[in-house]
Amino acid sequence: MTDLSVPFRERAGRALDDHFLQEALTIATTKFIELRREAFGSFPEGDALRDRARAIKEATLQRLDAHLERLIDRVEALGGHVHFARTAAEAREIILGIAKRTGARMAVKSKSMATEEIDLNEALEHAGVTPVETDLGEYIIQLAHEKPSHIIAPAIHKTKGQVAELFTRVLGRPAEPDPEALTRIARAELREKFLQADLGITGANFAVAETGTVVLVTNEGNGRMITSLPRVHVAVMGVEKVVPSMTDLMVFLAILARSATGQKLSVYTTMVQGPRRADELEGPDEFHLVLLDNGRIRQLAGTLREALSCLRCGACLNVCPVYRQIGGHAYGYTYPGPIGILLTAMLNGNAAVRDLAHASSLCGACLDACPVRIDIPRMLIALRKENVEAGRAPAAERSAFGAFARLLRHPALYRAAAPLARVLQRPLARGRRIRRLPLFFGAWTRTRDLPVVAPRTFSERWRALERER
Amino acid sequence: MTTRAEFLGEIRREMAKTPGAFPATPALRPARPAEVAETIRRELAERWPETLERFRQEFERVGGVFYRVGSIDAVPGVVGRIAREREARRLVAWHPSALGRDLVPPLRSEGLDGEAMPPGALDDPRARQALRERIAAADLGLTGVDLAIAETGSLVLVSGAGRPRSTSLLPPYHVAVFDRTALVESLAQVGVLLEAWHAGEAPAGRGAAINVITGPSRTADIELTLTRGVHGPKEVHAIFVEAPWRG
Repeated sequence: MTDLSVPFRERAGRALDDHFLQEALTIATTKFIELRREAFGSFPEGDALRDRARAIKEATLQRLDAHLERLIDRVEALGGHVHFARTAAEAREIILGIAKRTGARMAVKSKSMATEEIDLNEALEHAGVTPVETDLGEYIIQLAHEKPSHIIAPAIHKTKGQVAELFTRVLGRPAEPDPEALTRIARAELREKFLQADLGITGANFAVAETGTVVLVTNEGNGRMITSLPRVHVAVMGVEKVVPSMTDLMVFLAILARSATGQKLSVYTTMVQGPRRADELEGPDEFHLVLLDNGRIRQLAGTLREALSCLRCGACLNVCPVYRQIGGHAYGYTYPGPIGILLTAMLNGNAAVRDLAHASSLCGACLDACPVRIDIPRMLIALRKENVEAGRAPAAERSAFGAFARLLRHPALYRAAAPLARVLQRPLARGRRIRRLPLFFGAWTRTRDLPVVAPRTFSERWRALERER
Repeated sequence: MTTRAEFLGEIRREMAKTPGAFPATPALRPARPAEVAETIRRELAERWPETLERFRQEFERVGGVFYRVGSIDAVPGVVGRIAREREARRLVAWHPSALGRDLVPPLRSEGLDGEAMPPGALDDPRARQALRERIAAADLGLTGVDLAIAETGSLVLVSGAGRPRSTSLLPPYHVAVFDRTALVESLAQVGVLLEAWHAGEAPAGRGAAINVITGPSRTADIELTLTRGVHGPKEVHAIFVEAPWRG
């Protein structure tokens, strides 16, 4: 697990020194980028659908109360129960209450960032309920006691050799480093759990207000298992996941998988509408929907409102030059990558991203890749600004920029500074660059060069021109 | 614990801070979905051959195996062949009322150990458990199809009486049988049809799960190597029957 007492700079540094991680990240993110490009390349209506999807999200947020009321009413009319969690702790308490009341000993889970976000597994374990992650990638990292390193490919940082070693050690099954053989082992192990578990826990990719439908998207089929076999199904969803109608849902389905894995649709789109009906052989006897706030509601009128449109597709991670270098763990929180910085601020407050907000070159690749065109760079800048205004910037940075600002505000001082700087930089300049500054200024040049002050600055030349006229 | 009123009240308080600050377009929904659905059905009835061809291409692209037969009576022969090639013997099928035909007897003639699912729920938990174990032990699951989406090569299966969810999930081979009445062109059309289905009261026998199935179960979680059949079926077969056989 990532140790947050280690500063971000150091966590990132360690990731950069991990050569295997570097290679795995390059291969995975490059492949995802290609798949996404091909998927949208042969889908001319894609751009218009992205705009439409964003418009639907905005329209839904504007009447979020009404859509949620409709969703709650519909789910309850179908025989389901709806719960309300303002905080992660409250969500855990609700779910543990359900587990306790139903006497559940084991809970099978399908991949859900919302349950990662509320640290549900630790809470279940403490309460004597064994959580079993059933998405293959999540299963691997659960056995390894790690956290996901990518929103949609949680174990991309592991080799097949490491997975084989892990299965052999933890499951006591001698395993060959062959993805197919390893998948067969996981299938057999998890099939038993699906058939035994009393409790199934999922997230929700979407929820359709008009029909009370919770929608799960998976490729492996674990979402189907969990909605078919256990006696009790609990779905945890952030309030922003609601969409008004089935018509709207189709717009999102058409862009989600294309953005994530380049598929036209993921293999399984499972739509569930409350518990098993009277004539049905299978399906849960109890269905619970937990609506989660955890910092989201505050952003309806906040700096990060746009981030409430996020579909969790992972496309912005793959294209981000920072994520591609350091991977998911170095970020240190549940959600990595460009969107992850915004979601971390949403969930944990601005102070949590004092350093992370700078883990971006603001190149805009995330904005281009985002299926709903979330302007991530704009919000990163806003977070940096808010953190500076709240006095959270490091002291050295504050004094340096303070001095620079004074210089810019006083033309006489600024004009005098150039000749002075030319003298001072003489021992430091190597050609037209300064590669290393002394004292604590060195932190700035550790990862950057500084251009030297020009032999004649623009304002000096301008003044010369004025004189010649 | 937070109540519904507190929770929604908090949302309204935050919403009130930004009245109309964000441009939004209302969602486009058919005002009368049943009528639009009827129009779509009529149009599709005329151009089903192109739709079928597109479905076949997309279905094969996602790893499905496509067959075309003249009548429902030819289906057991195809299923028998699929089973023999894979040394599969045990088959579970939707109930005849859901499938539109009792195919278990002719499948037995093909050498398959077939069982039709019960027409409704089972009250006795032991009987339910025993049946679940038989479905889990089966090699082949035979189902119908509610919609076949050409754009994505997907099969839509609605759960319900006689059509248990796990028939298309637990056995390693899923075989689905459909005709032209199930064909639709696009996800957008599926949206309209789903709106129409939900416009009134749910008809008796309709279940609580709609599954859109796009090829066999897959994962790429280990070194991005594509592997089939991780939890669901490793193979999906779709048999198109030229002559609609229901009613």
